[in-house]
Amino acid sequence: MRGPTAKAFKQGFLRSFLLSLKSCRTGDMSLQERKRAVRSSADAAMATARGGGAIWPRALLASSSSSPSSSSWPGLLLNAAKVKTTRCKSTARRCCRPKRSSSEMIARRLVRKRTKILRGMVPGGELLDSVSLLREAMDYVVHLRAQVAVLRRVSNAMHHMAATSYLTGLDLSRLAQGLLHRVCN
Amino acid sequence: MSSRRSRSRQSGSSRITDEQISDLVSKLQDLLPEARLRGNDRVPSSRVLQETCSYIRSLHREVDDLSERLSELLATSDMSTAQAAVIRSLLM
Repeated sequence: MRGPTAKAFKQGFLRSFLLSLKSCRTGDMSLQERKRAVRSSADAAMATARGGGAIWPRALLASSSSSPSSSSWPGLLLNAAKVKTTRCKSTARRCCRPKRSSSEMIARRLVRKRTKILRGMVPGGELLDSVSLLREAMDYVVHLRAQVAVLRRVSNAMHHMAATSYLTGLDLSRLAQGLLHRVCN
Repeated sequence: MSSRRSRSRQSGSSRITDEQISDLVSKLQDLLPEARLRGNDRVPSSRVLQETCSYIRSLHREVDDLSERLSELLATSDMSTAQAAVIRSLLM
């Protein structure tokens, strides 16, 4: 991702992510519930910040809204992919195929097998042809990396804030007021 | 079914698709962290695909771990407007 695009994405992601966290009543949740809430906030924010230039954001948002708490989206997509590939395998065996060297066949089989796995890892992957899948995978990887980077910085900032207020006895809300004044004026 | 139809067409159009695919595979290879591949130009597509899946899996795990860390930090109270403002001003 090039510089300005990366920055815009990260800022959009951060904004959406924090907004989502604020709206969750995380204080009332168990640790597991909170973790799931944080994770889905992060994924929704990533998808929203990416926008319409790819398939995976829509697929990610669709799966996170349909499955409330239990099954994770990779599992759902993988099951769909599994059904499709079983059908393809049986048809292929019945086809008469042109003669190929066995090493070439092995290589192709391996590529096919691993492409199927990749389909399950990229949201919306099972709907795509191989070429589109590779493009989506590249886009998805790049944005996943950015998501990790921002989450790490948020985590460090929050940890630092917590540590600072503990050590200095500083009132966090007063610190926030001061910073808000500086930012807004 | 449709897969049978595409297979009979494959002998004619497969060369074009293979080139497209190998071009995309090499671009994908460039994205992967150096430790995973030697950065050679002769890494087989199957290997690139495997490492891509593995890389995505590890990125998901990182997001999961960071979500856990964040949820621990949020244990005492909800994310307040003040807290969110502080984080945004620190990061942006």
